[in-house]
Amino acid sequence: MKAAPFDHHAPETVAEAAALLAEFGDEAKVLAGGQSLLPLLSLRLTRFEHLVDVHRVVELHGITRTDDALRIGAATLQAEAEHDAVVAGAVPLLARALPHIGHFQIRNRGTVGGSLAHADPASELPTVALTLGATFEAASVRGTREIAADDFFTGTWSTALAEDEILVGTRFPVWAGRTGYGFAEVARRHGDFALAGVAAAVALDADDRITRVAVGMLGVGATPVRVGAAEAALVGTVPDGAALAEAARAGMAALDPADDLHATAAYRRRVGAHLMETALGAAIEEARRG
Amino acid sequence: MSAPAAGRYVGQAIQRKEDPRLLTGHGRYVDDIVVPRMLHAAFVRSDLPSARITAIDVSAALGLEGVSAVFTGADLNPGAGTMQPSMMAENPAAVVAPLTPLAADDVRFVGDPVAIVIAESRALAEDAAELVVVDYEPRDAVASMEAALADGAPLVHPELGGNVASDLALPEDPELEAIFASAAHVVTERLVQHRHTPTPMETRGVVASFDPVTDQLEVWLSTQGPHEARRTFARVSGLPEGHVHVRMGDVGGGFGQKFFTPREEQTVVLAAKRLGAPVKWIEDRRENLLAANHARSDVATVSLALDADGHVLAAKLDHLEEAGAWPVGGTGGVGPFVAMLFPGPYRIPRIWWRSRVVWTNTAGRGAYRGPWMFESVAREQMLDVAARATGIDPLELRRRNVVGDDEQPYTMATGMTFSATTSATTLEHAARVIGYDDFRAEQARARAEGRLLGLGIGLYIEPTSTPAATLGVEAATVRVESGGGVTVFLGTAAHGQSIETTMAQVVAEHLGVAYEDVRVVQGDTDRTPFGGGTGGSRTAVIAGNASREAALKVREMVVGVAAHLLEAAPEDLEVHDGVVSVRGTPVRNVSLAAVAAAVHNAGTGLPPDVPRLLEATGRYQTSSPTWSNACHICTVEVDRITGQVEILRYVVSEDCGRMLNPMVVEGQVHGGVVQGIGGVLYEHFVYDEAGNPLTTTFLDYLLPTAAESPRIEIDHVVTDGPNPEGVKGMGEGGAIGSVPAVVNAVADALAQVGATVTEQPITPVRVVEALEAVGA
Ligand SMILES: Cc1cc2nc3c(=O)[nH]c(=O)nc-3n(C[C@H](O)[C@H](O)[C@H](O)COP(=O)(O)OP(=O)(O)OC[C@H]3O[C@@H](n4cnc5c(N)ncnc54)[C@H](O)[C@@H]3O)c2cc1C
Repeated sequence: MKAAPFDHHAPETVAEAAALLAEFGDEAKVLAGGQSLLPLLSLRLTRFEHLVDVHRVVELHGITRTDDALRIGAATLQAEAEHDAVVAGAVPLLARALPHIGHFQIRNRGTVGGSLAHADPASELPTVALTLGATFEAASVRGTREIAADDFFTGTWSTALAEDEILVGTRFPVWAGRTGYGFAEVARRHGDFALAGVAAAVALDADDRITRVAVGMLGVGATPVRVGAAEAALVGTVPDGAALAEAARAGMAALDPADDLHATAAYRRRVGAHLMETALGAAIEEARRG
Repeated sequence: MSAPAAGRYVGQAIQRKEDPRLLTGHGRYVDDIVVPRMLHAAFVRSDLPSARITAIDVSAALGLEGVSAVFTGADLNPGAGTMQPSMMAENPAAVVAPLTPLAADDVRFVGDPVAIVIAESRALAEDAAELVVVDYEPRDAVASMEAALADGAPLVHPELGGNVASDLALPEDPELEAIFASAAHVVTERLVQHRHTPTPMETRGVVASFDPVTDQLEVWLSTQGPHEARRTFARVSGLPEGHVHVRMGDVGGGFGQKFFTPREEQTVVLAAKRLGAPVKWIEDRRENLLAANHARSDVATVSLALDADGHVLAAKLDHLEEAGAWPVGGTGGVGPFVAMLFPGPYRIPRIWWRSRVVWTNTAGRGAYRGPWMFESVAREQMLDVAARATGIDPLELRRRNVVGDDEQPYTMATGMTFSATTSATTLEHAARVIGYDDFRAEQARARAEGRLLGLGIGLYIEPTSTPAATLGVEAATVRVESGGGVTVFLGTAAHGQSIETTMAQVVAEHLGVAYEDVRVVQGDTDRTPFGGGTGGSRTAVIAGNASREAALKVREMVVGVAAHLLEAAPEDLEVHDGVVSVRGTPVRNVSLAAVAAAVHNAGTGLPPDVPRLLEATGRYQTSSPTWSNACHICTVEVDRITGQVEILRYVVSEDCGRMLNPMVVEGQVHGGVVQGIGGVLYEHFVYDEAGNPLTTTFLDYLLPTAAESPRIEIDHVVTDGPNPEGVKGMGEGGAIGSVPAVVNAVADALAQVGATVTEQPITPVRVVEALEAVGA
């Protein structure tokens, strides 16, 4: 389990990093925390001649808040985001999802941008980004562009980022008003990738009617998924327990989870519906208190 | 039953001598060995479960700069001696698969080593290994016992003419059939224990160096038995035993996987010998999961006949054990032990059994902490099945059938005789500690709220220190050094058992010196007496009593010299913490250092007939197993929606005789219990139907972590073991009792809604499927 030989590049600016990616084309890959990339290299499941390590690129680090968005630099450690009061205040869903990523040792190395760019369908952060409709900022020698979350996750471990593009940062919308959030997942062991998980956000009017709802799931498809059927069933209503259960059932029915080594599709449906009910229930409960 | 008193050192929870270096990250493992000019090896392994090799092209690999050699079977197999462990190599009747250093004509499981590449670094060796081109003609494989036993199944080992390695059975028994025909209750189940693998934290590893001038082979090895390794290396290489020197440093676990000397280590030795350069091979995790010996994988159909009061009248056991392609050691055939031990601590007056061992195109089976433990899994599960069928509470059913502490020696219907065990006592203790009746009330309350709690019991007796082949004897040499310090030389091979600590305690106790002044040396065939290796729960009993005897002999020598120095009669002297004094007149004393100085210097005025030696070897031999026993009880909650199992409480009541060090005993219990929990709930090595392994990283092969480990409450029942030191073996037990306890607890929870599980692992999916099958 030794990686095939590669050259390690340590640029200090986005421009330098982008130039390296442009120069080496498909022989180069961005290295962030290495928590996903290094195992793949060591098992020789993938190989690159050049690794462009973005750790020293200062521009990629940091968390900033504007009125309606929270921006997290791509190379910001998951652990930093997890323990950041600004994150918890602005986008509580992120703060709830982050502790479910692996173990603290992983989060001390893994980056927010690395998780998003790696785009594992059972990952927490891509699901939160998709659920809240985050915006991705990409840079290359060709310039910068923004990618909407709906367009970003194109398949298992694949995104809309081009080979020569670096993810620079991600902007998560800040929801205003009476809002609440829920995150729930089931994994085989503490710290494992989820068999299924749900991120939910709701906003209520003064009469507890749901004015806005977003539900996303991990572990039940080739990418993180939005559960439109559940959202449609709930928006504009003041749901009771039965209505929540029905929305979760309808939401799950529209999805097509797969079998793998650790769970069957049927198991994911059963547990997924339950998690959706739990996460939505918690979100509504929190919004009602607020 | 009065508990024997603890000594000054023996029986005390003394801090471990190993810990300062291990806990600060300063252990020295085989990968820490660096030898001048050392090269590194990587194996090219088959990625097909069964195939004929039509060509191997090593030219591209050899062409890579920094590559010293690429050997195939054609290079290393001719002239290689048998690769079997001594107990098989020396037994002409043993059925063994035709193992060679490297696969030459065909491959028989995914992971079969086809070539060994030797290069300047491991990374380079892996680069070169990728360049070795092997052409295969694929064949159909059998990846399960079911497939292997089917009519017309492809043969794993065509030379052997069939896929059944052994088939032993008692003759048909009409009387037993009559008992079954007239019994008030008969229960039958098919029980499955799945394949898992020992996964020591330190993978396997070896450094081998051969000097062609002196014909001397030096080997550093991660092992449980350097002396067995030496014999194995001598056989395979053709060198005389005296030309093979094996050493080990710290070893990060073995659990049976390193008890014998595996194929890859032997192949590396042959490669180093041929090359005349030192070669290091450190197994990586993927190789360890893929190709180091696997464990478990048993299936049995079991029937019990009981009378109306729940007394077991007879049992039938039809057992299948999966050997894989290249089982390691005698453990590819533990089947008969499973059958022989099946009655366990209960009166089961009549039994019939059949035991078959089946080859498959999978990684070979080997020893794993309690290799035969399926007997306890099968028996304890069946007792719970019987309890439900008869309507008798499972604790009560066990009470009615357990052999009383005072009814021993007791001979099982299978012919095994056990004695001096306390199963009945530990059953009661464990039930008391868990609060059995209170739990049953709580379970009923939870059930009323729709929650599923369960309780499981695992009661077992364990034959420890079983004297098979070279395993019945052990020697210890104790030496007082010239300055008065004490060194103990043992043939043991600690890899997590705290032997440096416990054997120092024994020697300090019986020699009369301070624990701090005793140092234990093991793991070096040139320095230590022969030993069978550490495993089989044999160190405390066999090495412990050998150490005791050696210490007592040396004490007598010390006293003899001191008697002259103090001008006192030997029988008036006592030895305490390194000082010999006249009983009743402690001011008349001499230190051990002074005794040692007198012995080592001529002209100290000792009479000529005083032996100038403070060194002796003790030997302990056992002719029958030493039985230990324990009762495990755990309680669980099963989540009705997710199928996840949470362990609520875990209690062990155990009797390992006199404890040398209670802290060490508890550590062994903890480790074993967690392995058992891991086995039942998480660990599963999976092959697909074609024979492709699916769980070759820790992403998919799930080990229990601290987060999955419950607090373990331990109750000690201390009785005197049947040997001078009063000990009984206990290293494996935790991994035996925990499996039935956890399985039974989940089954108990599910039974409340009519659901059943008889197959492990008990995954969330399996639990949910069991619930859904009964509409719960
Ligand atoms: C034991 C273990 C458990 C884990 N459990 C979980 C879990 O439960 N949930 C979970 O979500 N994750 C889990 N992970 C994965 C972890 O979160 C990773 O840290 C994350 O997926 C990748 O982040 P990284 O910074 O380590 O990226 P790297 O591994 O360095 O890179 C991952 C991929 O992203 C690309 N990349 C990284 N940064 C950029 C960038 N700025 N621009 C463009 N491309 C980029 C890389 O090129 C690579 O393809 C686990 C990992 C381990 C080892």
